[in-house]
Amino acid sequence: MKERGRADSKRRIAIMVGAGHVPGINAVIMGAAMAADKLGWEMVGIRDGFDGLLHPERYSDGGLVTLSQELIENLDPAAAGLLGQAPRVDPFHVRTVNDDDMVEEVDMSGVLVKKLQAEKIDGLIAVVGGRGLSILYKLHRKGLNVVCVPRSIENEIASTMVSFGFNSALSFTIELLDRVHQAARAARKIAVVEVLGEQAGWLALQAGIAVCADAVLIPEIPCDLKAVASKLRDRVTTSRPYGLVVVAEGARFVEDSQPQAKPSSLKASLSPLATGDASDHVIRRSGQAAETVANGLQLLLAQETMPLVMGPWVRGGAPTAVDRQLAVAYGVGAVQAVEAGNYGSMVAFVPPNVTFVPLAEAINKVRTVPANSEFMKIANSLGIFLGREL
Amino acid sequence: MSKQEGNSSAISGVVLNIQRYCSHDGPGIRTNVFLKGCSLRCKWCGNPESIAFKPELSYDPKKCTGKAACGACLKPPFPEGAFYVVDGADDKVHVNWDLAGDCDEEMVSLCPTGALEMFGKRMTVDEVLDEVEKDSSFYRSTGGGMTLSGGECLLQPDFSAALLKGAHERGINTAIETACNVPWKNVEQVLPHVDTMLHDHKLTDAERHKKWAGVGNKRILENFKKAYETFPDIDFIARTPLIPGINADEEHIRAVLEFIRPHKNVIDYELLPYHRFGLGKYLSLGVVYELDDYKTPSDDLVKHLQAIIDEAFGRTGQEAPLK
Repeated sequence: MKERGRADSKRRIAIMVGAGHVPGINAVIMGAAMAADKLGWEMVGIRDGFDGLLHPERYSDGGLVTLSQELIENLDPAAAGLLGQAPRVDPFHVRTVNDDDMVEEVDMSGVLVKKLQAEKIDGLIAVVGGRGLSILYKLHRKGLNVVCVPRSIENEIASTMVSFGFNSALSFTIELLDRVHQAARAARKIAVVEVLGEQAGWLALQAGIAVCADAVLIPEIPCDLKAVASKLRDRVTTSRPYGLVVVAEGARFVEDSQPQAKPSSLKASLSPLATGDASDHVIRRSGQAAETVANGLQLLLAQETMPLVMGPWVRGGAPTAVDRQLAVAYGVGAVQAVEAGNYGSMVAFVPPNVTFVPLAEAINKVRTVPANSEFMKIANSLGIFLGREL
Repeated sequence: MSKQEGNSSAISGVVLNIQRYCSHDGPGIRTNVFLKGCSLRCKWCGNPESIAFKPELSYDPKKCTGKAACGACLKPPFPEGAFYVVDGADDKVHVNWDLAGDCDEEMVSLCPTGALEMFGKRMTVDEVLDEVEKDSSFYRSTGGGMTLSGGECLLQPDFSAALLKGAHERGINTAIETACNVPWKNVEQVLPHVDTMLHDHKLTDAERHKKWAGVGNKRILENFKKAYETFPDIDFIARTPLIPGINADEEHIRAVLEFIRPHKNVIDYELLPYHRFGLGKYLSLGVVYELDDYKTPSDDLVKHLQAIIDEAFGRTGQEAPLK
């Protein structure tokens, strides 16, 4: 898509949303659409990721939604996303069934760029998570004028201090942990609660601090279950016969600390590569961390453990006040980037400013909890065990 | 004349792996040849590295010596941004799977530790058969041979037919393992060279098959039926990867039995209890594992379903009660 560089003339801008819901998406759309309208630009939304553009025949309105002032004024920023979402948003690998009834992944990135040109779209605002940034970067290298807005539940996107969505997930996680704490107390058990956080432990650590958990296990600190059990023996007593362990779904374990899975007869039917070990490129199933920790602790302690998985539904619901403000600001920031012709960038919040980071610098970085984090110091001061002696 | 009837040594295909001393995929001790490329997308797939037709990148971080000691993949000719290092004590390389897809065999050969590899390579018929023939003595003593698996071996029909024909010419028993979601002409081309065909009955309901495997099963079932009828001398063995919550139930097992039992050349029906063996490979391919919340079927359930099959095949034993 050729950059037009005509900041003073009317432009047509599109906005799309990556896979997975995050509270505050409507607020981004609202902020961007209102800022665009003030500049006299037209803004359209693409339904379900890129599906509205790639497969317009699936939609009665053609897959593009004109974000008129009337629509935006009636848009509820707390409701589910106006544009919907697709389970996958990768135009380089679009899963299709071909004429021979065979499933295949097709590169439709060229089609996408051409369709945006045909729709006379000057620039695209993409509301995406960490992986989406890489895909949009690839599209930008292919000629797409794109500005990204970071959204994340884990808050792992490195070039911004906070992605929208994190604060809402944190608030909801704390509310649920409070309830679990009460349930564990009543049942006299040790609750082991898995929260989102595949690569970064911000959600587990900050929520764990808020509810004064007994232990918090995060991906940044490989945990020693024997040491966790030892600490819990001190904290879970006859006068306080319950406990709360918060574990991020990407929690790791020191060698020999994690129970091994049993083999099965299907193994014989798989290729020898089936025995390959998991790498540190972490993709785990939901619930595995809670189950591993709960089972491991139950073998080491007298108390009964209770694994619970908060799972992906913390992604739902209305945004908190913090996320709503942030999301509107990100939407406005994205339009400012388009106005400045600052394509191939991501809007970032670097207090006190909203600024822009080149996508090449935003990708391939994970914002993890550093060892000298204030949050770690606070946890230590509260006696919250972080998986091993630091 | 079909291509495989010409000079077979000139035909080549993409092979994922050759696994020797196998005992579960056909009679006797066998060598399994896994071919790349599949036309289904089963959410429980145990061989994700076999789905794509092309050889593709894999990464084993245990073999990576890190940026300071090596760092080869952080420089050209590797694609910009395809590999990176995260701040911290561990300077091992990470892979951006969205940007690393263009890495080819030549680039991967620049990795001195073997942390980067390609899943799959192009091989000729003779190269494969020379490897398979190394265990001929085992095949003779156990009634074993070569099994083509995948992926879907029927998606490389010229190569598969040439391999199977060549195996027969070398006196090696042949079997294939297939889901049969291919045009009939592929089946028709390959089956004349097959002694045993292991075939998957994943789900009997077409809509549910589409949901879990990506497409419906109408053509698959038509192919099975036509294969039973067209090739009466082949031993057919039906199989089901047994997954609780998807197909590990009596209804499915009985529906499969109803489908296969009228055909006397379907000599057995095997259950393959699901296990998450593919997970490690999904990690090294950077592919998201889609089946999250299903567990291995219980021993009791497997015994119960197996008893139903045994009874249908007139084998001894009573149907085990489901506890």
